[in-house]
Amino acid sequence: MTLTVKEELIKRSPLRVLEKSISGGLGKGNIGVLASRKGVGKTACLVHIAADKLLQERHVIHVSYASRVDHIITWYEDIFKEIAKRPKMRSALDQFDELIRNRVIMNFKQDGTRTEQVLRSLEAMIVHANFRAETVIVDGLDFAPAGPEDLAKFKEFAGRLGLEVWFSASLRGEEPLFDELGIPNELKTCLGVIDVLISLQHHGDHVHFNLVQDHGRLAPKDLRLKLDPTTLLIAKDVRAR
Amino acid sequence: MSTDIARMRNIGISAHIDSGKTTLTERILFYCKKIHKIHEVKGKDGVGATMDSMDLERERGITIASATTNVDWADHSINIIDTPGHVDFTIEVERSLRVLDSAILVLCSVGGVQSQTITVDRQLRRYNVPFIAFVNKLDRVGANPFKVRDQIAEKLGRNAILMQLPIGLESAFQGVVDLVTMKALYFDGPEGETIRVEAIPDELAAEAARAREEMLDAVSMFSDELMAAILEGRPTEDLIRAAVRKGVIVRKLVPVFVGSAYRNKGIQPLLDAVVQYLPNPSEVENRAIDLDREGAERVLADGPEAKTVALAFKLEDGAYGQLTYIRIYQGSLRKGDELVNTRSGQKIKVGRLVRMHADTMAEIATAGSGDIVALFGVECASGDTFCSPGLNLAMTAIYVPEPVISLAIEPVDKNAADRMAKALNRFTKEDPTFRTHVDPESSQTIIQGMGELHLDVYVERMKREYRAEVKTGMPQVAYREAISRKVDFDYTHKKQTGGAGQYARVIGRLEPLPKGAYEFSNEVKGGRIPREFIPSCDKGFRAVMKKGPLIGFPVTGIRVVLLDGQYHPIDSSDIAFQMAAQGAFRQVYAKARPQVLEPIMKVSVEGPTEYAGNVFATISQRRGTIVSSVEDGIFSRVDAEVPLSEMFGYSTVLRSLTQGKAEFTMEFLKYGRVPPHVAELLTEQHLEKQRKESQR
Repeated sequence: MTLTVKEELIKRSPLRVLEKSISGGLGKGNIGVLASRKGVGKTACLVHIAADKLLQERHVIHVSYASRVDHIITWYEDIFKEIAKRPKMRSALDQFDELIRNRVIMNFKQDGTRTEQVLRSLEAMIVHANFRAETVIVDGLDFAPAGPEDLAKFKEFAGRLGLEVWFSASLRGEEPLFDELGIPNELKTCLGVIDVLISLQHHGDHVHFNLVQDHGRLAPKDLRLKLDPTTLLIAKDVRAR
Repeated sequence: MSTDIARMRNIGISAHIDSGKTTLTERILFYCKKIHKIHEVKGKDGVGATMDSMDLERERGITIASATTNVDWADHSINIIDTPGHVDFTIEVERSLRVLDSAILVLCSVGGVQSQTITVDRQLRRYNVPFIAFVNKLDRVGANPFKVRDQIAEKLGRNAILMQLPIGLESAFQGVVDLVTMKALYFDGPEGETIRVEAIPDELAAEAARAREEMLDAVSMFSDELMAAILEGRPTEDLIRAAVRKGVIVRKLVPVFVGSAYRNKGIQPLLDAVVQYLPNPSEVENRAIDLDREGAERVLADGPEAKTVALAFKLEDGAYGQLTYIRIYQGSLRKGDELVNTRSGQKIKVGRLVRMHADTMAEIATAGSGDIVALFGVECASGDTFCSPGLNLAMTAIYVPEPVISLAIEPVDKNAADRMAKALNRFTKEDPTFRTHVDPESSQTIIQGMGELHLDVYVERMKREYRAEVKTGMPQVAYREAISRKVDFDYTHKKQTGGAGQYARVIGRLEPLPKGAYEFSNEVKGGRIPREFIPSCDKGFRAVMKKGPLIGFPVTGIRVVLLDGQYHPIDSSDIAFQMAAQGAFRQVYAKARPQVLEPIMKVSVEGPTEYAGNVFATISQRRGTIVSSVEDGIFSRVDAEVPLSEMFGYSTVLRSLTQGKAEFTMEFLKYGRVPPHVAELLTEQHLEKQRKESQR
């Protein structure tokens, strides 16, 4: 059986490597977190995860707490352009208009928006507007005030509506950020609610991905993925070490 | 009256529909002593604000056609264009912006930056128009000029700096603190005409000092001299103003002023700001297209001795006959001058020359570069350029979008028919986005425009201004057809009916042309089709594409490549090749996977967050795609892309779902593919119509 270019692209995506390492993917009703210091590339990773879902013609809601949404829109356009640069993938760009219809950006004000309100709006989008999202990515939620209680509300919601939810978490504390097991000190109280926890760290001039927790199991592991500094896409890390 | 160009300003007042700009304009006219009594929009006195000269605008409380008016303030001559706020009339806004040198952006202190404001900001950017901001309605409950300033910075990405602080807010709003002079200004008298200058109230002193420091910080970026003076602790008012002015003109700074037009507070300082900070015409570079040199751009000179270049940007039919508003970009204009309309080549003689003030006017003998005046009795269309003989320039063609909606209209009787024709003739000249034609099949008059409201307004105007009573049909979306893949054709047109027959054969292919309407490429070699018949083929394709085989709407986005063919020395003719082209097209069209395209509108809905769920649902029911939803506390905005055909009557639905608390704007975005089930329905309707017509 021959694969179409798109199927080939989905199959070869470095995100399959990620899925393999986390027991086949994040899964419905589960919470995944990408943790790092600010500016390491969490948003890029989340957009790549979202774009990968869109390519598979799945619906994605992108929740953001930024002051503007236009740069998020541009980010998606850029990432699809980048994907389309691969050989034979020019048609991906033609499909961009179609695929992007399956993405909604929902933007909230960081200060003063309660998680209940965010979930209410998400539910309105999924239920009232019949937007059949399977993946929600939440970029920029401040974990300090949010804490395990809010995360638990997201988890309950994810379970009820059958969603997988990826978060980014900005680590702000003093060094060391991580303990000997690689667990971010700031997220220790949340560990019980998080299903998959991945940390992003600089190693020389590259950003590497370390799996910290896999579906409730502490399992420190180098994911052999890196963030390509020019394309800002997740890529396989093929260097010997 | 000053004719010195340095003492001249051409400004526009741009804003969201309810931010109160007509009220503001009314106050400006009053303080500049152009009118002697203030009328409110939808006033109880039944007179209405002076700038809204059309009855209809008065009734609906909106400004449709922008009237120009001239006022004097502080020994400066200011031309003001009151611009419409509704997106359906965006062409009017854009045309005004082409003519202006700068603008006042009016914002509501409660609503702040709304989607319409973002549209206007984008237009200001496109035409490089520097502006100052005025935060109005400080007397309203919930007024917060600080929040609005932050929104200008965040949502519009502008370097917004408060130049004033409010003294009190809402019902306690009394006056403003000027951060340049560090004085408190109060507006006394029944109409706020007397300004009382006092020391800053004690309770505001610390805040004012802080705000001034912030302002100086931002402003000093534009002047080393000011920066040095600040370090020495003695910045002068003149230095500050010069720096602000510089920042505004290079469009890197937006000074923010505050007040309440309705309560007559803060208007005179705003007028001072217009004079102090906005550029005069010579400080703005204007370019024209040189029609003799293949459209090369050319910078226009200032000074009265240069040859004349002027742009007709608005036509009006009023109590005084036809008026043509023009902006002079170069040279000067005198009664008796001879000018050439560079579009039509027609020569005109300047007759009466007037300066306009909404409904009244003053005759003048001459006007110089930078000025905006009106001419009488000139035949032209809006957008035409007039030059001194010997020059062949055109001011940049103003971008005119294609109409997306049409409506059949029918006069009720013979009298109405005559008047309707007169009205249509006028409207199409005034507004390039409004078009009209007679449908050859139904013999109905069709009007086309940019939206439901756009056409509604013209139908109303026909009734009111021309007493032309018309019946209207259902609004009809301007669909299109397009092919989605390459297809080869080889078609022979042959007819033998005794006497001379018809013979022509065409071979070639049709290709999709995503970014264009139609292209014809002749690649026939060796005279297989004689040269004189090539245009016949082109003509044949054009003709058949006017009504697509799928649903009877124009086919666009096609490249025809003609490769080969055959002819007969006696039987081939112009008409035979036209028929062959049409036959070829019809034969292969279905194989080219034709699609129906429909106009997709960019829709923005704003309202209280509690209704966001309802709004989401209305969009999805209308085959819309929600691009984003932004929740900003109690208010939220939903941006979506929705087919125009699904948007009829949306305002009523939205009103009833949200108790009138949400509003929406919409503008044309692109043509998009119609989903198969809708396309099928349209095809069926088309076939049904054809069947009925053939039965008749």
